Amino acid sequence: MKPKSDVLQGTLALLVLKTLERGAMHGYGMTLHIQRVSSEVLRVEEGSLYPALHRMEQDGWISAVWGASENNRRARYYQLTAKGRKQLAEEEKNWARLAAAVASVLRFAQ
Amino acid sequence: MSLLSRLAGLLKIHRLERDVEDELRAHIEMRAQDNLAAGMSPEEARYDAQRRFGNSTLVKEDTRAMDIVGWIETTGQNLRYAARMLRRTPGFTLVAILTLALGIGANVAIFAVVHAVLLEPLPFPHPEQLVRVYDDLRTSNTHDVGMSVPELWDLRDKSGVFQDICATLPADANITGGDHPERAEALITNANYFTMLGVHAELGRTYVPADALPGFSEPVVISDAYWRRAFGADPKVLGTKIRLDGDLYTVAGVMPPSFHHPGPTLTTDVDAWLTGGFAAAPFPMPVLRAIRYFPVIGRLKPGLSVAQAQAQLDRLVAQLTRQFPDEYPAAAGWSIRLAPTHEDIVGNVRTELFVMFAAVGFVLLIACVNLANLLLARSAGRQREMAIRLAIGADRGRLIVQLLTESALLATISGSAALATVFSLKNSLLRLAPANLPRLNEVALSPSILIFAFFISILTGLLFGLAPALQTARADQTTALREGSQGAGSSKHQLRFSRFLVASEIALSLMLLIGAGLLFRSFWQLLEVRPGFDPHHVTTAKIWLAFPNDPKNDPYLSIEKRAAFHQEILRRIAALPGVEQAAIGSPSSAPMDSKPRQSPFRIEGRASDLERIPVAEVASVTPGYFSVLKTPLIAGRFFTGEDNAKGQQVILIDETLAHRYWPNADSDAIGQRLQLGPAFQSTNTNLDVASTFTIVGVVGNIKSDGFDAASAPHIYRAVYQSPPYGAVVYLRTSADPGLLGEAVRREVQHVDPTIPVFDVRTMNFIVSAFLAEQRFAMELLGIFAAVALLLASIGIYGVMTYTFSRRTNEIGIRMAMGAQRSDILRIAVGEGALVVAVGVVAGLAGSAVMTRFLQSMLFDVKATDPLTYGAIAGLLTAVMLLACLVPAHRATRVDPLTALRHE
Repeated sequence: MKPKSDVLQGTLALLVLKTLERGAMHGYGMTLHIQRVSSEVLRVEEGSLYPALHRMEQDGWISAVWGASENNRRARYYQLTAKGRKQLAEEEKNWARLAAAVASVLRFAQ
Repeated sequence: MSLLSRLAGLLKIHRLERDVEDELRAHIEMRAQDNLAAGMSPEEARYDAQRRFGNSTLVKEDTRAMDIVGWIETTGQNLRYAARMLRRTPGFTLVAILTLALGIGANVAIFAVVHAVLLEPLPFPHPEQLVRVYDDLRTSNTHDVGMSVPELWDLRDKSGVFQDICATLPADANITGGDHPERAEALITNANYFTMLGVHAELGRTYVPADALPGFSEPVVISDAYWRRAFGADPKVLGTKIRLDGDLYTVAGVMPPSFHHPGPTLTTDVDAWLTGGFAAAPFPMPVLRAIRYFPVIGRLKPGLSVAQAQAQLDRLVAQLTRQFPDEYPAAAGWSIRLAPTHEDIVGNVRTELFVMFAAVGFVLLIACVNLANLLLARSAGRQREMAIRLAIGADRGRLIVQLLTESALLATISGSAALATVFSLKNSLLRLAPANLPRLNEVALSPSILIFAFFISILTGLLFGLAPALQTARADQTTALREGSQGAGSSKHQLRFSRFLVASEIALSLMLLIGAGLLFRSFWQLLEVRPGFDPHHVTTAKIWLAFPNDPKNDPYLSIEKRAAFHQEILRRIAALPGVEQAAIGSPSSAPMDSKPRQSPFRIEGRASDLERIPVAEVASVTPGYFSVLKTPLIAGRFFTGEDNAKGQQVILIDETLAHRYWPNADSDAIGQRLQLGPAFQSTNTNLDVASTFTIVGVVGNIKSDGFDAASAPHIYRAVYQSPPYGAVVYLRTSADPGLLGEAVRREVQHVDPTIPVFDVRTMNFIVSAFLAEQRFAMELLGIFAAVALLLASIGIYGVMTYTFSRRTNEIGIRMAMGAQRSDILRIAVGEGALVVAVGVVAGLAGSAVMTRFLQSMLFDVKATDPLTYGAIAGLLTAVMLLACLVPAHRATRVDPLTALRHE
């Protein structure tokens, strides 16, 4: 099945950080959340999710603990750190700026 | 990421793979579950979940790579930062590296020795099966009397305990045929010696079964050292004939340089191995149970423990005692004892080596404590900086890891420096060790040493880095920022911790000092013991009359011929210029230089003691022996020239024997008669069959077995009545021993050019060599204790300086309120005294516990000797208080005005 759309690489971190703002979650849960909230538009590329998560963990934006999932299986739960919260604010600002810039260009072309 | 999980991550890197697998699998299973609930079939559900990952192996690797890259980056960052911090304070860094390198180096060096001597198994196949077999006479507390041939055969055939067993008799051998005769260290064994040990020759061969003859066989195996010395490492040495004690032998093989006989020798490593069956001339014949004279080494059957084998041997002993009641009377208490060969070789140095190892560990610990204190003081200055960093969101765990990296880097640099130094100084360091330390030649820098060096460096780094790193962890940001420029937020805790560290330093130093003090006292006691002779201005030399295989070729076979030889030698050397007095004695007459020759005896006219047969040490001496050694005559007379083969058989006894049997007056012993049993360890075919002797004199006790050995009774025979094959020449002289030795050699070879003269040494040298081990232990521990004292002094000086500098404000206030200089001094010294007191009390308690392990090294001193403890504690307290005095004095020099203004 062909994926409906690829998520832009740089925005994966932003989406993960925002998702975790509401609370701790494991990787699968994040995939479902992003998919549902974006009305199936954004599908997380699962091959790149976990490398990204571990990279963000090494950078200190998120921390992880092993826990029990909904059906009592062993799963790794991630949560935002203080540093991660600051990074999220930064990335949101950048995204807003980028979106506004693109919008400006599009309006101009019209 | 929390500190704990970060540190855990560092250590569990190998578990990363499994964790990543688990995480990915959980994801796949959860999606498969959802798919199933959505209506897919189980296979479809799983397939879809799997497929979304694409190549799961690749994903796994990429994920893992992120972790590793992250770790490498962080570590790289930490190392660069740590290196920068160390470069910023080059003075501190240099001092720290030097201190640590010294401490780590000393530990590595001693561990290398402990490893080679105590931990490494002997270099033979299945070394745990090799045992030394002793004959003991328990009732008279006489050990290792040597074994007899029938007993050896019984052990081989009837005990069921050995897969192989072998006699190993150390002997002197005269090598003739060259320009001058030489003495060689020989070992006479059965033909199965090399196969039992499982070793092969480097050149040629060892013995083959055809070499097993009842007497001596022709092939001789030589050592690598002897091959180089006597044959210049000539590769064509095989087949060369050499003449040992008059008989021709053929060199059949050369042993590798690493091979050493795992048992007792006479003086040095074995030069030549000879094989014989001990069952024909020239061995003592006929073969009798009572003629005991050689050490035995055996190889136990596989899977048999020493304890099990010992139990079986005890049963054999009981059986033989029943079978041969005449040879094994109950009063003798004959028994056979096993000891692992390793134990036999290193058993007596085990305690010393472990004590040294522990001591040097203490010194390193003290050095670490000093460094920890230094780092604590440094980190105090950085409290404010740390607090600010934490406030703006730095990860606390990360900061701690950074600090630990600094100390780990320091420790690793020091460790490498230490290893390099030890490696390059290896030979000089080995020369410092006492020469008679067993297995010294096996000390080498092996992988285990490297692993130990690495491990101890890391441990050291963690030890002294942990305290300042954890201080940062506890840094309370708000108070740190609020306090003055020095950021003294946690300083109260920190100060207390610093002082606790110094107190522990003092405790450890005290323990080392007390240990050294006890050893010193013990050594002093040893020296106080009067040996019973005056070793000053006495030179000794040894000669050996050859013992040819065929008695018909022996020119010294008869007592008369031998006595005449000794008489002539004595006459000549007594006439040498510079010689005041001269004497000759059998090898067992040399105090502290030979194995005693023991013999049972019986006083005529007294009922035999059925409980224990008395045993005395026997030696033969010429009349001048006691004069040369300045041993007094207590009663009766010395030997004279008339005491020869034609006269009455006479003996001299020592005070110990006299007091035991004639307690009223020593002179009662004169004229009494005494029977000597068949002497043990007699290789003399002219057996000392039980004959009766008349006591003509009582002489003073000579401590022939060492200062710390109990006084065994001695019996002396006259050389002219019992002339030995091996002899020791004693000369009372002030002349140079080297020149004198040459002169003696000339005289001896005038009489018989085939006889070498060897082991020319002064009595002083022999006595101090005997004490070499104790002296070395005492000196080494003394050095360690001195270093510890120095470090502890520096430690307390530093902490007190820091303490008072922090309280300048308080001191200023006190002085402004009217306190005198002397008051401040009193308070200041009092602070230091508290730390010292705590340290000393802890040290005394620790010593009382730890010195127990030293007891076996102490002579005539209790491990809890109050005099030593008190004196050392007093000394340490004085030094420590002195070290406090300088900073305390400086504290009083504070100007109240500047102090009040001081933040």
